[in-house]
Amino acid sequence: MSLKGRSAIIGFGETTFAKGRQSGGRSHLKEQCTAARLAIQDAGIAKDEIDGLVAIGPLDHGSSWSMDLAEYLQLRPTFLDTPYFGGAAGNAGILHAAAAIQAGLCRTVLLVGGSVSQPGPPAPYGVEDSVSFERDFDTPFGPMGDNSAYALIKRRYQHEFGAGEEGFAQVVVNARRHAGRFDNALLRAPVTVDDVLHSRLICDPLRMFEIVMPCTGAVALVLTSAERARDARQKPVYLLGGGQAIDRGMWTPAYGRDPSLTTSPIRRSASAAFAMAGVTIADIDCLQLYDCYTITVIIALEDVGCCAKGEGAALVAGTDLTVGGDLPVNTDGGQLGRGQPYGACHFMPVIETARQLMGRAGPLQVAGARFGLAHGNGGAMANQCTLILGNEIP
Amino acid sequence: MSADTPCAKPLPQILPETAGFWEAARRHRFVVQRCTGCGRRQYFPRAVCHHCLSEALAWEEVSGRGVIHSFTIIRQVQHAGFSSDVPYVYAVIDLDEGFRMIANIIRTPPECVRVGLAVKVAFADVTPELTLLQFESA
Ligand SMILES: [Zn+2]
Repeated sequence: MSLKGRSAIIGFGETTFAKGRQSGGRSHLKEQCTAARLAIQDAGIAKDEIDGLVAIGPLDHGSSWSMDLAEYLQLRPTFLDTPYFGGAAGNAGILHAAAAIQAGLCRTVLLVGGSVSQPGPPAPYGVEDSVSFERDFDTPFGPMGDNSAYALIKRRYQHEFGAGEEGFAQVVVNARRHAGRFDNALLRAPVTVDDVLHSRLICDPLRMFEIVMPCTGAVALVLTSAERARDARQKPVYLLGGGQAIDRGMWTPAYGRDPSLTTSPIRRSASAAFAMAGVTIADIDCLQLYDCYTITVIIALEDVGCCAKGEGAALVAGTDLTVGGDLPVNTDGGQLGRGQPYGACHFMPVIETARQLMGRAGPLQVAGARFGLAHGNGGAMANQCTLILGNEIP
Repeated sequence: MSADTPCAKPLPQILPETAGFWEAARRHRFVVQRCTGCGRRQYFPRAVCHHCLSEALAWEEVSGRGVIHSFTIIRQVQHAGFSSDVPYVYAVIDLDEGFRMIANIIRTPPECVRVGLAVKVAFADVTPELTLLQFESA
């Protein structure tokens, strides 16, 4: 029995994103509570109707976050989850919640994530509590966290496929173009390909504009049974399919990767999602692809089936991927346009998909959108979770 | 990477299942585990064979030769222990024996490093107990 069409998103909410140095007076819990209130209000349900909670805490908080948030909000869920594997965790949380709803463990799940970004440089990579094989066989060589892991992937991609910089830069240009028309985005100023190519080289071959900016914010959504969704205030956005796939540990940049860093498990997660949904990439009206770096978008475009392997950078450079174009991608600006609030970024692709499919995207609305793809990516392209959603059940 | 500076860098910890690897490295030998159950080899050292889950593992020396699969030049310090090293090369190396591993490329100017460059292991003594397996242009 598949999850297809058995649950639906009926509401969502977001706090106002802010840069780290403008985050005074905010706290992790306050952010998440505000987002939760906005989502519950948007869904038009009573707080007491929530009987499931999926919560993703800030990076430095442990696995009991959903219990702690339930206590803070005085929720008494019969289903709890704190998925904790990077940017795939939001979509995975949706799959867990949908399965729990279908199994009768609960009916209406609140999903929430977000955090306050501290100003200043990130904590040194290689903390003592990292998994032993990362600590012993990677960290001693001075990696630069996510930056070096993704730099390795971009370098290898450029080597294998002869890709220049233009496609990568265009990912940023598109993100900023959307962000400039999206209210809750922090990087609204337009940029050109040249601007991106002249931004500072941080970790060869990654430039500053190709790397997300951490920020403060939280988002939340409400997922309920398809039966309950039929009476909801908002147009239900049904979960039609989902799939998850991994090919190694969180940050280990290589050991299990065969044959190349440019091959991602997105092929498997997307195939599973499409098979469950009974639609193909040709049916998808908009794609929201986790975009911590430009290379992530390019490999995701290839591996969800928009083009052949190695053609992603050329696709971005040669196709209009903005609203109004052939294949709208990251229509809210994505993380490269909006900023990356840890915990919230996990749910941003699925929330933007719901916004589009409810017809609530305002100036960025994809006309007549029926089906959307939301993709989450965790670790250094290690963990992938793809969802297909629709405002109808095909 | 200079090996003789006082070491504020993060260092490996020697565990029962990795002790043989570090003991060999200290003697400037590069060893991996071969499973006496299924006969296959693995890197990095583990408590079990990841092919068949056997715990019967023996050490076997490998060539230490390979090519660079990918690399980045790190120009900005995130960990203070590396502040005197920037810019330095952090690389993924495909060994001739079929393993993939992480190391720095040392004694080779960063601008000469490229994907596909042939490299060989270069033992870097860090403390009396610990020697890291680095690589250099072959
Ligand atoms: Zn074995």
